[in-house]
Amino acid sequence: MVEIVLNSMNAVNAGVDGGIASNPIPGLCLLVDDSLLVRKIARKIFTGLGFETDEAENGQVALEKCLCRMPDVVLLDWNMPVMDGLEFLKSLRRTEGGRGPAVIFCTTETDVDHIQKALANGANEYLMKPFDQDSLVAKLDMVYYRK
Amino acid sequence: MSVEEVVKARSIADSAIATMQKLQIPATPANYAIWYEYHAGLSPNLQRTIDVLISNNANFNENTLQDLYATFFTSDKEAQAVRETSMHALQTLQEIVGVADLASDDAQQFGHTLRGLASKGLGESLGNLKHLIEDLVQESKSMAGRSDYVGLRMRESAGKIEALERNLENAILDSTMDGLTGVSNRRSFDVTIRKLAGEAMNSGDDLSMLMIDIDHFKRVNDTWGHQTGDTVLRYLAKTLQKAVRGGDHVARYGGEEFAVLLPRTDGKAAVTVAENIREALAREPIELDVTPPMTPITVSIGASVYEPGDPLADWVGRADSALYNAKRDGRDRVELNECSECRS
Repeated sequence: MVEIVLNSMNAVNAGVDGGIASNPIPGLCLLVDDSLLVRKIARKIFTGLGFETDEAENGQVALEKCLCRMPDVVLLDWNMPVMDGLEFLKSLRRTEGGRGPAVIFCTTETDVDHIQKALANGANEYLMKPFDQDSLVAKLDMVYYRK
Repeated sequence: MSVEEVVKARSIADSAIATMQKLQIPATPANYAIWYEYHAGLSPNLQRTIDVLISNNANFNENTLQDLYATFFTSDKEAQAVRETSMHALQTLQEIVGVADLASDDAQQFGHTLRGLASKGLGESLGNLKHLIEDLVQESKSMAGRSDYVGLRMRESAGKIEALERNLENAILDSTMDGLTGVSNRRSFDVTIRKLAGEAMNSGDDLSMLMIDIDHFKRVNDTWGHQTGDTVLRYLAKTLQKAVRGGDHVARYGGEEFAVLLPRTDGKAAVTVAENIREALAREPIELDVTPPMTPITVSIGASVYEPGDPLADWVGRADSALYNAKRDGRDRVELNECSECRS
């Protein structure tokens, strides 16, 4: 009994010392893009912000990953082989628990029709490429941090 | 329509016009409709779409505006009715404003008409203002048809407004081009750099930039005058256009500084393009009959390669600092800014 209390005390201390308790992990972010470079850049930014990240090269793979473990944030490309971003978004929002993740479309498709379709199908925000840390954080501010 | 509604419509119209001016959007009826509705908040979808465009610093060019109109004003029958009311209110207000302007020219006569109509409309019911407005418009139209001074002024001002709107539109259309040199202007450069960098981020292809500045340009102006200075700027612009390929983008960045964007070009190839430009200029003077005789103009060039994920301002800043180094090390030379942590 005493030992258990001590152990849990140690765990708490370890947490504080390691900065974990005061700086909790913001969540899981799924990066969905067929461009390896885009995923690499986004991964660097998100891990820098303390996120856990996972990646998918198309909507189909992304959907399978969501069924296994629902992410908190999805950064979503538009044009991808097998299943594009919009199809993925529609399927995700129909999935149980799939209304939870904050979805940020991240694409070079800048025309009104794309933006309108993305928002109408449940995207929370729309980020135009090229992005950098500041523009990405500004969008996270709007749809995730402030929630 | 109640008095409150008219006042509200007027304030929405004011906001719409202010936003259009800020974003440099031509004053066409379709654009009025878009921004009126944006500020009226009648369509959340339109509002969100525009907010997304604004928050991403998107360019409200002709295509985007046409798309907005086509998407939100020609489909969706349900919202059509709301839209028509607001359009109507806006048109009415615009006509009243026109009539009111005219009234200040011929206050006595027109004021009399106004008061007559006002007593008729307001006397019976405040809610009848809509009819009053319609009568006003009718009255203003019949005045425009008259052959006297007021009618003439009415037609004149209508013509002036139309000409103004046409000029505005032309100005916006032309505003991708630098008037003096015929290459892209800064505004167009800012749009293109985002487009090309977005593509480079997706594809992983190289994308380079040259910043080109004429050496001692002030001396050119001081020695031969500003007209020759302008000729030199045009000559440089032409030389740049000859030195680049079809997909490249030449822009006047400001003053005597030009920028060139080179897709699918690495740092080494960008330096080669820059050296070709520098040599072509230094080889011989521009053929001009001036005293003292023209000497060759030289340029200093800074080059840098885009690093996806870095802010665009950093990339431009690196080209600028390379340009600064070229100037510092004696001018008439090319410097490349190698980024600190280039792709492995």
